[in-house]
Amino acid sequence: MGSPERPRRDRETVGLAPFWAIAQADLGSLFRSRITYGWLLAAVFIQVVRTLGSGAAVTSSVVPSGLSDLVYIWSLVLIGLAASSVSSEAGELADSIMSKSVTRLDYILAKFTSRVAYALVCFSVVTAVLVGLSLRLDVADYDAAGLAEAVLLVALTLVALTALGVGLSVALRNTVVAMVTLLVLWYAMTFFFPILGLGAISPGSVVGDLPSIVRGSWTAADWESVAGFLAVSAASTALASAYFHAKDI
Amino acid sequence: MGQKIIEVENLTKIFGEKLIAVNNVNLSVEDGAIFGFLGPNGAGKTTTIRLMLGLIRPTAGEVRVFGERMTPGSSGLRRRMGYLPTNPRFPPRMTPIKYLDFVGRLFNIEREERAKRLSMLLRSVGLLGDASREIAGFSTGMTTRLGLAAALMNDPELLILDEPTSGLDPAGRRSTLELIAELGKEKTILVSSHILSDIDRICSDVGVISDGKSIFSGSMKEMKKSTRSHVIRLELEGDLPKFCDALRKVRWVVSIELRGDYGVDVAFAPDVPMAEAVRQATDLVSSQGLDLISVTSSTSSIEDAFMALLRDEESHGFARAA
Repeated sequence: MGSPERPRRDRETVGLAPFWAIAQADLGSLFRSRITYGWLLAAVFIQVVRTLGSGAAVTSSVVPSGLSDLVYIWSLVLIGLAASSVSSEAGELADSIMSKSVTRLDYILAKFTSRVAYALVCFSVVTAVLVGLSLRLDVADYDAAGLAEAVLLVALTLVALTALGVGLSVALRNTVVAMVTLLVLWYAMTFFFPILGLGAISPGSVVGDLPSIVRGSWTAADWESVAGFLAVSAASTALASAYFHAKDI
Repeated sequence: MGQKIIEVENLTKIFGEKLIAVNNVNLSVEDGAIFGFLGPNGAGKTTTIRLMLGLIRPTAGEVRVFGERMTPGSSGLRRRMGYLPTNPRFPPRMTPIKYLDFVGRLFNIEREERAKRLSMLLRSVGLLGDASREIAGFSTGMTTRLGLAAALMNDPELLILDEPTSGLDPAGRRSTLELIAELGKEKTILVSSHILSDIDRICSDVGVISDGKSIFSGSMKEMKKSTRSHVIRLELEGDLPKFCDALRKVRWVVSIELRGDYGVDVAFAPDVPMAEAVRQATDLVSSQGLDLISVTSSTSSIEDAFMALLRDEESHGFARAA
């Protein structure tokens, strides 16, 4: 069954091919999922109702309110998808992927990339509708740069959530346990971290600051949040990669 | 002697400081061999194979494949290997076409080449008609055939098949064994199994593992020879008691045992060559006027050889404990 002429490919290295193959396959399966369509339709519909049905509302309250939905409610979808990213594949991981020409780093970085890309694409669609409609409100009390900063800060918050989820999915074999752990962690960060003086990495603090950011007031605390969420994302990715590299599959 | 493709040296794997799955295993597979990796269920065959693929790390010892040490990062070595797991699991929502294309991309095979190769493999394993169906609905046999196609996608030099006939019906088992024998003409193959007749049928060399320890490694012929029991079994039609009386008078006959209505096991002295014992016994059958149905040497049965190895290992174990 083998052919006399072996398949053409570089004998020494496969470069980034496995990384892209895994990331694209993962993104493909996420975007074919009914969860994605359901999430996007519901989220977009709610943003449309919020902005069109708000009468004489002001941009600096409608946009933060819409963005806070993503942090408090729609983050549940991301928690489910991120925390199941690796653990749900445990059965087929060795058989269908890792026994091929794939390094541990290829796999884990592809998973981080695809899940973060997915979160950002979905976030962009919902936010585009929200911001697009909010710009037509009666009281447009926004600063363009502030609006962009608010959107980017929430995006960064969701990137950190996704990175934490993929990290937990590597560390915990049981998908349900990973999801529950991430849920508890996320809401603890949201509601209790500010009390503990860890407001810089609290999604709750970010949501509280959004109205002033939209009006153009960017403070040192906001920079701390940027640094904090970047650090959380980087630490989760690094620790999960190191752990995945060392573990038996 | 051919080049060694797989070398396993003092390989040990202990899970969680509790379970010794593989205990100081040594074996080697030469270029071009079809190597049978035999052992009862739970003997440590799959763990050894996973160590060979770098999916798990050894507690001690090492595996060398193509002369290089296998580690989890040895993706370059895995590019030259194909692996069929026992009851393989694949992404359930993918179709065979999508999955094989994905595997081809993992090996960085060019798009045109991937398309050509996957259609050839789907035809070869008889899955062309189901190529667009989701894998989730596949039977065990279809999943195994898809696994075999995936293992061959990169046209590997070394093929590792873990229980390839597990869960297959007799027809599927037969065609899989024929396929392995065919592939063995151009590849080095390691086939793990607990089905002795499968190994006997296709393998040139064999390694036996029991309770995580290797108890034999060599050619199939050596294995059977090493467990020679100096017994021939005759199946006869005629006056068996009279024949047995005549046999008892023969100098080299040690003991005689009747097996049902037709069979006689004749144990002979170890210094008598097998051919001589068979010749004289069949001469006696003719002279006594019996019809000979069959003659079997117990050494021709891999089951006997395998059981003898296991018994021997068990008695050595007791001796070591005492």
